[in-house]
Amino acid sequence: MPAGGYFGRALVVDAADGSATALPLSDKVLRGYLGGAGLGTWLLHRLGPPGADPLAPAAALAFVFSPLVGTPLTTSAKFAVVAKSPLTGLLTDALASSQFAIAGKLTGYDAIVVTGRAARPSVLLIDGDGARLQDAAGLAGLTAAEADEKLRERLGRGWRVAAIGPAGERGVRYATISHDGRHAGRGGLGAVMGAKNLKAVAVRAATKVSPADPAAVLAAARDLRERSFGPATAKYRELGTLANLLAFNAISALPTRNFQAATFDGAERLGADHGDESPAGAPAGAADSGGSAPANPRELRRVARSSCASCTIGCEHIYRVGGGRKARVEYENVFALGPMCGVAEPDAVLAASARCDDLGLDTISAGGTIAWAMECAQRGLIDAPWLRFGDAGALLRALDEIGAMSTPLGSLLAQGSRAASRAVGGGSDAFAPHVKGLEMPGYEPRTLPAMALGLAVNARGADHNRSGAYEADLSGDLDRAGGGAAHVMAAIETEDRAAVMDSMILCKFLRGVFTDPFTEWAGLLSAVTGWDVTGDELRATARRIVLAKRVYNLREGWRPADDWLPARLLEEPLTLASGREARLTPARLRAMIDGYYKERGLDLDGRPVARITDDLGLA
Amino acid sequence: MGTPKAALEWHGSTLLRRTVGILARATGGPVVVVRASGQDLPGLPPGTVVVDDPREGKGPVQGIAAGLTELHGQAETAFVTSTDLPFLHPAFVSRVLTALGAPGAGPDVALPVARGYQQPLAAAYRTGLAELAERLVKEDRLRPAFLFAECAVTRLDDAALLTDPVLAARDPDLDSVLNVNTPDDYRAARRRPAPEVTVRLFGALVKAGRPASPRAVRAATVAAAADAVGLLFDRHVTAALNGDQITRDPSIPLAAGDTVFFMSADAGG
Repeated sequence: MPAGGYFGRALVVDAADGSATALPLSDKVLRGYLGGAGLGTWLLHRLGPPGADPLAPAAALAFVFSPLVGTPLTTSAKFAVVAKSPLTGLLTDALASSQFAIAGKLTGYDAIVVTGRAARPSVLLIDGDGARLQDAAGLAGLTAAEADEKLRERLGRGWRVAAIGPAGERGVRYATISHDGRHAGRGGLGAVMGAKNLKAVAVRAATKVSPADPAAVLAAARDLRERSFGPATAKYRELGTLANLLAFNAISALPTRNFQAATFDGAERLGADHGDESPAGAPAGAADSGGSAPANPRELRRVARSSCASCTIGCEHIYRVGGGRKARVEYENVFALGPMCGVAEPDAVLAASARCDDLGLDTISAGGTIAWAMECAQRGLIDAPWLRFGDAGALLRALDEIGAMSTPLGSLLAQGSRAASRAVGGGSDAFAPHVKGLEMPGYEPRTLPAMALGLAVNARGADHNRSGAYEADLSGDLDRAGGGAAHVMAAIETEDRAAVMDSMILCKFLRGVFTDPFTEWAGLLSAVTGWDVTGDELRATARRIVLAKRVYNLREGWRPADDWLPARLLEEPLTLASGREARLTPARLRAMIDGYYKERGLDLDGRPVARITDDLGLA
Repeated sequence: MGTPKAALEWHGSTLLRRTVGILARATGGPVVVVRASGQDLPGLPPGTVVVDDPREGKGPVQGIAAGLTELHGQAETAFVTSTDLPFLHPAFVSRVLTALGAPGAGPDVALPVARGYQQPLAAAYRTGLAELAERLVKEDRLRPAFLFAECAVTRLDDAALLTDPVLAARDPDLDSVLNVNTPDDYRAARRRPAPEVTVRLFGALVKAGRPASPRAVRAATVAAAADAVGLLFDRHVTAALNGDQITRDPSIPLAAGDTVFFMSADAGG
């Protein structure tokens, strides 16, 4: 009898023929890795052939649910997609929220792992009747949203769809998997799915799962819902993550023109803050929807707000895009397609973001790679004089060429900035904005030193969701131009918190409502599973998950030099608005990495010692 | 004045808390408070080092010696000030420290001669002078002039000080060196308004009744700046001073020309 919230098994599907087997998951594995990113890591160790090309048929692609999925706990309708990344060659795990998580789990499995390659473009269907393939006729070339709509029409009620866009079909190495307008975005999971000849995976609920203590879960859900309406989530509820843009610009933390600056003179046009005339809580610019003069001096036009499935925060802010369309807007896509590329026109940035959604591209990697290419063009390293910083038309053209892989430049940029810089040479690797091949998010490491460490050592690469060390930099507790032991401990703490939240799974936008997070999370997990989990146990679990990712990466070819930052960030200082210089030197980064390795129990090269590896339960 | 100078109130802070905060902001380094042995001090921010003056009644050189001795080995240079300068500006501190130049290359002391007077207690010293200062005290040569006679001193008159554009803009009259020696001085200082600073709110902090655009207010502390725009400076809010130092400490002192950005404490994705 599995613990509450679990089925105690994963479904392993061979995409070659749709055949499937159940892989039992013991309580020890589930308690040790929880679900989501943690359990996905364990599954990759077990089912991903060592050294396999991420786009080869043998590679494993795991959709992993969690014990909390299906409970009334707010933000719990999430799942992780885990695979070896075609962009980094290392582990990647991308989380997303939607009804797909609930329907997928209620097929009766804690995870669905796909291996093999279908003979022709197909859709993988999974429900109470098991797994089977269906021809993807009529879906080729459609956007993920179009494929979703068409499939649900075709399949009928109850089906939920995760699909790829044209970029995933063509193997762009930062293609996404999308569902209900949400994206498992980072690391090229859409390319992995495309390589399996799967346009979509469709799931339908077939059973139920119960928590161990329904009354306790219900009480916890009520409490958490109330707290989710409070000030800790106000930013997400009222403005969404785009609220970061103007604040980051003010503190020189907004990467601009491929990290050549940390402030952007066009930021005010792209920010989401309320205008002076906006009433509290009212969508900024709503008064402009009829074509009258804008109430808000800023130009982005927010028209609605919505939530992920099972979420009470409601962080999704919908903006009007050209042509009558609407699009969800987040800080990261505006940063990557706006300041990073030097583009200040709001309509162009929104159009570029919508184009990424249509093509199925990770906006951060797309923007980062294009920004790198713009600098290469500026320096004469690539023959594309049209590709200029600040040119909105060039940005859109580059996205189209990448999505279609229709030109040599598009095909080059479809590989990501690391591979492209190796091909172009000329020293362009020094300013290729990636770590381990994953393009950098919108957090300037030179002015956020704890985040610099988090970006350097994280298993997924340059990543703000697996390392939230920027929280410490922005807390006021650390020197933003420093970097020492306190920064190391802050980076570890946020990495551990992320490991648990990404595995239980709870949305990180909820993190501010917890005052004693590990203990509170242990209480939630205990109520759902029936286990007597403690905060200390969850801290050990977090460490286990972080180290298991590192061990996987070691197996797949990680080298010590991969835990590092682009040379530009270590050679070119920034000047803060105060006049103080923010310089991240190689020696300071090295010292923080050494401190991180020591605290994590790694050797001087960042490798886990044998005793630690044995304790991970991966054998 | 009936109250130790360190504890005198000025726009919601004490003179000592304000002085310590201004020095911490300007230097980014450790701040040492030298007190008479056992003297009660008003509240200080965490990290402030307090040392007892081993020999009371020996005048400023003794205090300088005690402070430089504490800092020697931790910092190459130090700004030394009395606690009764309510208008001391971070830009003044920075300007004077800059005059010392690189380690080993410049003078030993940067001595302002501001508003017509030498300002040995608003000056920059190399911490390596600790030994010399100790010797002078033992020899009972207690005036700063004896110290200056035995080391390299660069004097900064008003014009030299005001070559710094930030200082010239924010403290053009060099009020930084105005001290409070008498009850009348103190009353005059209290009559002066708090510094004018610019406040800007970001993100969800902008609500009805609170400005979205930068606003000039009078405020001597971060808490007062928040209050001036109707903002409660609680655990959900942080402040960034001049786009640089981020703090949750409401007692951080502000100086004329400062910009204070208030942001959600959960800034980030």
